[in-house]
Amino acid sequence: MTDTPRTPARARLGRLVWRLLPFSPILIFGAAWSIYWNVAHPPLAVMPSIANVVGAVIELAQSGSLLTDILASLWRLGLGALLGIAMGVAAGFVTGLNKPLATFLNPLLVFFNAISGIVWLPLMIGWVGIGTGLAVFLIWNSVFFIVFQNTVLGVQLVPEVLEQSVRTLGAGRWETIRSVTFPGALPYILNGVRSGLGFGWRALIAAELVGATTGLGQMIFRAADFSRTDIIVAGCLIIGMIAMAMDRWLLLPIERRTVQRWGMVARSEGGRPG
Amino acid sequence: MSGAVDKIEVAGFRHFFQSESGPVQATSIIDLRIQAGEFVTLVGPSGCGKTTLLKAIAGFIKPSEGRIFCNGRPVTGPGRDRGVVFQELAILPWRTVRRNIGHGLDIAGTKPAERDRIVARLIDLVGLRGFEDRYPHELSGGMRQRVAVARTWAADPDVILMDEPFAAVDAMTRLTLQEELARLCATTNKTVFFITHGVEEAVFLGDRVLVMTRRPGRIKAEIAVPRRTPGGRDWESFTADPEMQAICEQVLRLVREERGATLVAGDGASVVPAA
Ligand SMILES: Nc1ncnc2c1ncn2[C@@H]1O[C@H](COP(=O)(O)OP(=O)(O)OP(=O)(O)O)[C@@H](O)[C@H]1O
Ligand SMILES: [Mg+2]
Repeated sequence: MTDTPRTPARARLGRLVWRLLPFSPILIFGAAWSIYWNVAHPPLAVMPSIANVVGAVIELAQSGSLLTDILASLWRLGLGALLGIAMGVAAGFVTGLNKPLATFLNPLLVFFNAISGIVWLPLMIGWVGIGTGLAVFLIWNSVFFIVFQNTVLGVQLVPEVLEQSVRTLGAGRWETIRSVTFPGALPYILNGVRSGLGFGWRALIAAELVGATTGLGQMIFRAADFSRTDIIVAGCLIIGMIAMAMDRWLLLPIERRTVQRWGMVARSEGGRPG
Repeated sequence: MSGAVDKIEVAGFRHFFQSESGPVQATSIIDLRIQAGEFVTLVGPSGCGKTTLLKAIAGFIKPSEGRIFCNGRPVTGPGRDRGVVFQELAILPWRTVRRNIGHGLDIAGTKPAERDRIVARLIDLVGLRGFEDRYPHELSGGMRQRVAVARTWAADPDVILMDEPFAAVDAMTRLTLQEELARLCATTNKTVFFITHGVEEAVFLGDRVLVMTRRPGRIKAEIAVPRRTPGGRDWESFTADPEMQAICEQVLRLVREERGATLVAGDGASVVPAA
């Protein structure tokens, strides 16, 4: 593909740079933070140093509460997101394949989209009380609508001629959906899952701030009471890193094996796959 | 000519598309009969309604007027008895060459060993050996179209409807594919309806060449092409045959008349129907 022949060593170096490139903004950010902190020396109640944050992580990890909180959060997120994805994809298919239904549902969707998210919180506390149910509902609510909308769009945008061509091969409705509509809509579905997970995290933390006794959101909330900014920042970093890890080790491999392999989206990395 | 039921019968077909600015007449009244084993080619100016007619026969367009029969039964939808090679690229991006070509056989429940044998033979035929496990985006435009043709052949339909199937194929491969198509259809006695812009292609392949007028198109002429050697058709003897060249010139003249008229009336897609 490249015009100049590259030595294996240089190629390996190039790949290494590609691998590390996503982390460079983080390094720059960390450096800027350290410099500022060492110059200004803000009190801990305002801003922690990197050492404070690392210390907080070690302290929380040793007490065992960090693992409990992470697992509690992941369990809620996993349950809410799985329900939201499964129901969003299923409902999205039914709606996307049915024009009158899509037209009928559209105003309702706009309506519920505007009030999705933590607006439900006060109502839901009254309905299901404080606990796992509340967080799961709020996460489901964020994930479902985004996955649903993306699935509907994806299903509707599958070129009709692809479906027609397979029907002339003798495919029935089910085979057409399985072999054409689903893979055709997959780039949109995966996109919906990706944004859905992002909104799911926000809903999770919001729900845990007020409606839980464990979880990363609750950990941050408790720390705020004592002005422990080191724990707050540690919590934020952990959330961000788990979200990044999930994207890299869960979603990206799926994308690489499907829609990227099929040439339906641009590769996220230059050149050949790692 | 009479007696046996026609493979395809189009009776009083006329079609209008609904658009924002009102109905668009795609075709004038078309009557057409295709017998079993016949190879009928259709030429006509761009936008005259060729694809519309083909999609109606395939069962994807419900005629505004008139009726269409296949084996004497009214066409109500698509079916595996009528294979289609579409004008647009219609192979599945998420299936490899091998799995695209074998798709119809999978649907029909053909045994894997049998399927692989058929697919391997067709891959050789369309010159795609070595590309079996590639995905369509890794192929050239012409290679993709060859996959589409092979996929339709593999499903072994009674009738094959082809809409400019070789338009994107390079000239050399096109010659081979045309010869192979002629041979295959003669030996398997398939019924083919083949749309093209190439006059020579139409005469080379067709037992009968139909010429359409500009939009809204109707069939204005029908030229029978005599076959001296049914099976063994090749381009060398075709170009050396004065009778065939005379037919080509005749068809070209008929098509040219429409081209001229189209230019006077604007484009093929002009909304004003030329009287
Ligand atoms: N879905 C549609 N809606 C509205 N008008 C259409 C539609 N499909 C085709 N037409 C119109 O009908 C006419 C015939 O179209 P058709 O596709 O049958 O032409 P064609 O003979 O196959 O042309 P070409 O040789 O360029 O493929 C054209 O003028 C086109 O503008
Ligand atoms: Mg056409």
